[in-house]
Order: sequence, then structure tokens, then C-alpha cells
Amino acid sequence: MGGSRAEILQGTLDLMVLKTLAGMGPLHGYGIARRIEQISDEALQINQGTIYASLVRLMQKGWISGAWGTSENNRKAKFYSITKGGRKQLQAEAENWERIATVVGRVLRAAERG
Amino acid sequence: MGADRDSCWPRAARGGARVRAMLAWIRAVASRIRVWLSPGRANSEFAQELEEHLAMLTEENVRRGMGPEEAKRAARMRLGGVTQLAETNRELKGLPVLETFLKDTRYALRMLRKNPGFTAVVVLTLALGIGANTAIFSVVYAVLLKPLPYAQPEQLVTVFQAKPQEGVMGTGWSYANFAELRKQNHVFSEMGGSQFHQLTLTGRGEPAVVNASIVTPEVFSVLEEKPLVGRVFLAEDGKRGAPAVAIVSEGLWREVFGADSNLIGSSINLDKRSFTVVGIMRGNFRFPQVTETKQLWIPLVQDPLFGSWIERRGGHWLRVIARAKPGVSMVQVQAEMDAIGARLGKEFPAENDGWAVRIASLRQMMVGNVKSALLVLLGAVGLVLLIACANIANLLLTRATSRAREIAVRATLGAGRGRIVRQLLSETAVLGLLGGLIGIGLAYWGVHALSSLLPESVPRVNAIGVDNTVLGFAVLLSAVASFAFGLAPAWFAANSNLQASLREGGGRAGESGNRRRARNLLAAGEIALAMVLLVAAGLLLRSFGKLMAVSPGFDAQHIVKADISLPQFQYSKPQQWTAFSDELLRRIQARPGLRDAAVAVPRPIVDGFVNLGFDIVGNPPVSAGSSRTADYVSVSPNYFRVMGIPLMAGRLFDAHDTLSAPRVSLISEAMARHYFPNQDPVGKRLTFGFPPDGAMEREIVGIIGDVRDVALGQEPGPMMYVPYGQAPFWGANMVVKSTLGVSSVAAAIREEVRRIDKDLPVTDIAAMPEIVDASVAQTRFRTFLLALFAGMALLLAATGIFGVISYSVSCRTNEIGIRVALGASSGSILGGVFRETLMLALVGLAIGLPCALAASRLIGHLLFGVSAYDPATLGAVALGLATVAAMAGYVPARRAMRVDPMVALRHE
Repeated sequence: MGGSRAEILQGTLDLMVLKTLAGMGPLHGYGIARRIEQISDEALQINQGTIYASLVRLMQKGWISGAWGTSENNRKAKFYSITKGGRKQLQAEAENWERIATVVGRVLRAAERG
Repeated sequence: MGADRDSCWPRAARGGARVRAMLAWIRAVASRIRVWLSPGRANSEFAQELEEHLAMLTEENVRRGMGPEEAKRAARMRLGGVTQLAETNRELKGLPVLETFLKDTRYALRMLRKNPGFTAVVVLTLALGIGANTAIFSVVYAVLLKPLPYAQPEQLVTVFQAKPQEGVMGTGWSYANFAELRKQNHVFSEMGGSQFHQLTLTGRGEPAVVNASIVTPEVFSVLEEKPLVGRVFLAEDGKRGAPAVAIVSEGLWREVFGADSNLIGSSINLDKRSFTVVGIMRGNFRFPQVTETKQLWIPLVQDPLFGSWIERRGGHWLRVIARAKPGVSMVQVQAEMDAIGARLGKEFPAENDGWAVRIASLRQMMVGNVKSALLVLLGAVGLVLLIACANIANLLLTRATSRAREIAVRATLGAGRGRIVRQLLSETAVLGLLGGLIGIGLAYWGVHALSSLLPESVPRVNAIGVDNTVLGFAVLLSAVASFAFGLAPAWFAANSNLQASLREGGGRAGESGNRRRARNLLAAGEIALAMVLLVAAGLLLRSFGKLMAVSPGFDAQHIVKADISLPQFQYSKPQQWTAFSDELLRRIQARPGLRDAAVAVPRPIVDGFVNLGFDIVGNPPVSAGSSRTADYVSVSPNYFRVMGIPLMAGRLFDAHDTLSAPRVSLISEAMARHYFPNQDPVGKRLTFGFPPDGAMEREIVGIIGDVRDVALGQEPGPMMYVPYGQAPFWGANMVVKSTLGVSSVAAAIREEVRRIDKDLPVTDIAAMPEIVDASVAQTRFRTFLLALFAGMALLLAATGIFGVISYSVSCRTNEIGIRVALGASSGSILGGVFRETLMLALVGLAIGLPCALAASRLIGHLLFGVSAYDPATLGAVALGLATVAAMAGYVPARRAMRVDPMVALRHE
């Protein structure tokens, strides 16, 4: 079985997705995954599929919205963008950001190791 | 399991964030329901999304210089298993709880149908546990928890006087003191007083004895009770000289007055005196007699008995109930009562010095000593359920081991850990539900059985039943129970080592040490719990045996009791009372077979007791704060012969001991021992009695055997007897010793009473042995129930051990086969299994012993003549449990002994 790492990541992954969407504007799943990997200097090699669980959760909460559009290379893709509610949530979490960053840092180190 | 899926944020910020989180949650649920209703679209969209993602990843890989095939493969790896993603997606988007629950339930039902034996054992075990718990809870709920049937019952308190330094923990008031208390306090919105006794209703067909509640008019406003028809008492009804009025209960109105619509305003005769009926109370209004459906109320001032006591400040007979003002705490009430008690003591020292004022909630007063016994029973039946759960958990663990391969395959195919745990839990939930349903059925039956078996002395028996609260309890209990026994197996299943399980094949050959330890621990725990119950039951049984072996001091055999109450308006003078009882005894004794007839008041066990202070003439008066008291009984001369109470010294009473002769008395051995150590009491004089004879000197003419007058379980205290002729009573409480049988004796008494006065009813005819028996009914009942629970516990624990040992033997068939093949004797194989069994039993007993000791301390107050640490009981229980364990282990041990090495070796 996958072990418990992904489950610990879950909350922070949601937050990273929100942050990414807030900074980058509308993106599709692949774009979000790539962006997170880039920001983390490719250190965070996530199983890109897990991004979708995060997207579903955020959609259900109304913090992001999704719409079908056309990608850079002319493919049909679902683009996600942050909503007003999502921005508020992100802002509300700002005070926790430092702590989360530490957690992310720890996860990144863990990810590097193993 | 990690964090809950929906709590994405480490910690939600406060205030607005909380609202936002709630809105988000509602939106999420709405979205899930939407998707659940039309799953197709969402799934195909997601598939497309994933496809695009894969394509983009592949393109990226190609850009990095991979070949097309390799690029595709790497992209798949990067994205993760598509099937698993789709499954997660479905779970996230739809209503997985509902969806998988339905699926799991169907699957669980199929699994359970395939193993009918297993299912039956689990469901029945659980049903028994739930049923017994629910039944006992219904009693506990009715007696201890259900709101009393009065308005705002939590404000109602009883107020009593107590003299703890003399062991008087709570007693009633005199009317004068009550009136003072009512006037002086500021914490009660209203207070009322009550008493009850029987009055004779005449003028309507056969004379009937009715239960009359004697109340001050305020009682109805204390209880905030409105009449069904007519009115309740007014303050004027309580004044001297007011016209006599009465209120009847709905039950009495229907059954005695034939639902007469003209009853209000008409008059009825009570003890031959006319009362005008002014109201009818609703059927389930009962106060102060809470079990009586047919009763009536009259104002205290009109009562032939207590009415004349109103002016007297001495005495403790009025039961006082009060309603606390809203917002006043019980602490404030008690503080004010302390102050008033002290004030009463100063103002009226003769009657009130040393008396404290105490309060108790109305429920506390009504429930009394039943509470602790009920809680003990609830605890016991809870333990039974716990053992049942341990047993089921064990069965499930065993089964989970043999299903390890199935679960491993599921996990390999992509079932998440949570998913597997959920599936196993839904299996146990289905079991729990089935068990709960049957259990509730059993509970209905159990409640029925319980309420017909419960002694009448248990308060609020009429309120017992299976209502919504009780049903809710049963459902909750089934849920908690199925969670309790389902958790361990599910946890082990989720944490099993995948590779190992797959390698092991059938799951027969072995299991993890953890799991075996868990199973052994459960079995040992069952033994420990069973030990607690068995020790408790053993102690109660021994107590009951001791109680039954106690001699009450009289011989109840062949004694019939009957009561004749004299209307006090007609029979108002003591001379009339004596004349009546003399005449009655003369007539009855003249009949064949009824020579041994006597009157006495109060009779032991039957009538309770009257404790009275006395002085010894010539001795200095007792120091302040202490007093000499003894139980007072007035008897006709042949009472002692009828009851078989032996004379120890001096003489008995005879026909010459009348009001015109010198006053005499007899004392009991205990009294002689206690108050006349190393002296001969015969010839000494005592001063005691009821007004107007209160300060009368009475010569002690003899010593009589001790009698347990209060209860079988209570050591006989000092008692003093006076001749009925010198201390008569407004009625004849008879005891007749006869071999003729209760009904012939009753007929004879009725006939003779009718010849003297045709309006006098004879009531409460009963055989004395039955009354003595009924006096221990509660004790017998709780002993019986606890023994029943202990028996269930023993059976369950035995099954548990049997299960564990059989499973352990079947797991080791292989090993045993090899040992047999290598020449091990069948004795050594048997010994090995026995050792394992005994080890389990010993561990269980070691855990159980301290628990049992603690439990017996808890039930110490229910014991009689047996120490809570009775070594005989403890030893017998330990030995018995070890024996049962050995027997439970014997069957599998025999099987191990007969293992055929060839079969065993092929077993793999």
C-alpha cells in the first residue's frame, strides 16, 4: 500500500494548489502539477494524479471553479481558477502560513530522502 | 487512517472562517449529492481530463528526448494508476458513504448467509447482551431517570427532620412545626404536608376500605396540579370548623362510584362521617401514595386520626413536600433550612432541640434504597455485554485471519486501507443491527417479564416500559457494541502485511503474533470479567442463603393475618376498642380450629415498627443528646403463644392485665441485655407509652425472646410489649394460627366481624409466611438477576476459551502432526493444549481477582452475613472458572490428541 505520506500531504497540497491558482491565474491539472514541481525546484515529485483529489475537494467547497477550455497546444482541457471564497480562505490561512511552510519543508526533506 | 478528508486546513481560522468552512461543507455535500444522482457525466469528464493530462505529460517527455513508447510509460508512472485515480475520484465526488455502505451491506449479507453458524452465534450472543441490557435499562430509566409525573419535578423537594446523633436520618414533622417552617422560609414558593392511611367507605354497596391521603390544602398547588373536574382544596378547607370535603381519584371514581356523573357535590361516608366530594383528579396523578390508582384526598383537619394532632408540636408524622422558587439552588435551600432548624430548636427546645432540617429531592425520597441495587444490576449486565463483545471480536479475529488472503487480494487490486476497514466494519454493523433488532425483541419480552417479576415495593414500577428513550438506548448500544467488537479485527486487517498474507496462501498456516496475543488477551479478559460477575453473584447468593436461614424469632408457619379497622367517629373511646377486640377474640377463639387467635400492633415485618423512648424508674434521666428507645408493641395475652415467641423469665400477660389493673410490660432479651446488664429486670419499672398514657410507670413482669420486627436482615433491637387491654388501638390487627387454610380462616373472621358490626370490612388477609417471603422479594430478585447474568457470563467466557483453544489447535495441526510422527505421546500433546488453556485461565483470574475485589467492595452494602472478601466465595469462583476453562479446552485438546500425522502433514 502507498504508506501514509500522501495522506499527511493532503491538507498542505490543497493549500499549495490554492496558492498556485492565486498566483498564476487559471490553470489545468497538468499545469498546476508542473507549477508545484517547479516551485519546489523539482524536489517535490508528486504523484501527479493526487492533484485531482485536491481539485475535487476545493471545487466541492466552492473555493475554486472549473471550466473547459483550450490548452496552449490546442487541446481541450479543464481550467481551474480561484474564487472569491478561495482567496478569503487563503488569506485567512496567511497567519498559519509560516507553520505550514515548515511542514512543507519537512515534507520536502522527507520526499528527498525517500 | 490519517486526517479526515474534509479537514484540509491544519486549523481553521476563527470567526468568519468558521462560517466559510460551514458554507463550504454544505456546498460540498450538495455537490456530492448532485454527482451521486448522475454519476455518468462526472466520470466521463474525469476520464477525459486524465487523458489530456497524460497526453501533456507524454509530450513533455518526448520533448525531453524519450521515445514515444517510453514517454507514454513514464507519463503513466508520473500520473499514477488511472483505475485507482478514477476510484478515488468517484469516492470524492459522489456519496461514497451511502454508496459503499449499500454495496458493503449487500456484500456483508452475502458473506453472513454463507456462514450461517457463525452468523447465528454472533447475532444471538449480541441479541442476548443487548436484550438484557435494554431490559435492565428500561427499569433504571423508569425508576431513576424518567421525569416524575408532576410539573417541573426538579423543583420539588421533600423536607424532613433528622437527629443524626441518635441515628434518626429522616422523619416527618408535627403540624405546628410545619406551619412555622412554612411561615419562616423564603426559598419555597409553596409547601404542603401529607400522610395516608385507610378509611372505611360506607353507604355505597359493600363497605370498602379506601386509601385516604391526608393532606394540607397546599399540596395541590405545590404539585401545580389541576383537577379533572371540580376543584382542589382551598386554604379555607384546611381550617378548623370548615365543612368536610373530599377529592377522589379518577380510578376510584370509575371503579367504586361507577363513573357517577353527579358525584361532585354529593356526599360520601368515610369512617361513618359525611364528606362532600368537590373534585376528581386525573388517573395518573398519584400523591403521596405513588402506586395507588384508587385513592381519595381529605384535608388534614378533617382526618379522624391525624386531625386531632394538629395543635401538638411534638411528634414527627407529617411528610412535607415543597417547591423551590425558580432560580433558588439546593445549597441556598439547605442553608435556609439550617437556619430555621436552629431557630426552631431555640424557640421550642422541648420538641426541637437537637433536630436538624434536611432536604432531599422528591425522586431521592421515592427511589430510596433501590437505586444502588439497580445500578449494580446495570453494571453487571453491562459486563455481560462486554464479555459478549469480546467473544464476538474473537470470532471475527479468527475469521479475519482465514480471510487474510481475500483482503490481501482486495488491497492489491487497489482497495484503500480505509475502504477495507469500512467494508469489514459494515459487516460488523450488519451483525450489530441484526443482533440489536433481535435484542430489542428480547427486551420487549424481558421488560414484560421483569415488570411482572419485580417486587411491588420497587417504586415507579408502573412507569417501566419500552418507550422511545429505551429504544434509542438499544440502538445506540448496538452501534457502540458493533463498533467495539468490529474495531480490532478491522484494525488488524488493515495493518496486515500484504506480501506475507499472499504468500501464506489459505491463511490457515499461521497468523501474526500480535493477532494471537490480541485473541488470548480477549479470552483472558472474558475470564476476568466473568470472575467479577461470578464473585458478585456468589456473594449475593451466600448472603441470601444466610438471610433465609435467619430465624425471625417467631414461627410464621400456619399464621394468617387480617386487619379490621374501626371507624373512629363511631368507635372514638379506647374502651370501645378493647370491647371490640375482646368480643372478636372471644368469638373467633370459640370456633373449632381457631383457638390460637390474637391481636397485636404493630405486628413484626407486617406493620413496620414503632420506636419509642422510655425511662427506667430509679435510674438517672439520660444525658442530653442521647436517649433510650425500644420498639413498642401492644399485644393480646395469647399473642406470644400464637407466634411461638418463647418466655425467658417471669410471666406472660393474662386476662387480668386491663386498664383497671396495675400497668405491666414485658421486655425482649436484647433489651434486658442492653439496659439491665447483670441485673434481673423483672420487677423493675419503666416509664413509656403514648399520650395520654405517656408518663405511665409499667412494671416489667417478664422477659420474652427476641424478634426481628423491622426486617429479616436487621439484628433484633430492644423491644417492649404492653397488654392490649392497657394500650388498645382503633382496630384489630389479627394473627391466627390455624391449619384450616387461609380462605377458611378469612371466612370465619369475616363472619364473626359481621356479627359484631355489619359495616366493618376485613382487609389485607394474608398468610404470614408469604409476607415474610415478600419482605425479602427485592433481595431475592436482585440475587436471581445477578446470578442469571453471572451464568451468562460464564457461558460466554467458556465459549470464548473454547474458540481460542480450538483455533490455536487447528492452526497447529501441522506442528502437532510432526510431533506425533516424531513419537510424542498423546498425553504430552494433551498436556500441551491443557497448559495453554490453563495459562489463559490463570492470566484471566489474575486480572479478575483485583477487579472482583473492587466490585465486591462496591456491593458491600447489599451483603448480609458475608464479608465482601469472603475467601470461600473467591476460592470457589476461581476453582470453578479454572474447571470450566479446562473443560472448554478439553474438546479441542482431544482433537489435537487424535491428529493423524499423515493427514496433518498433507494439510499444507
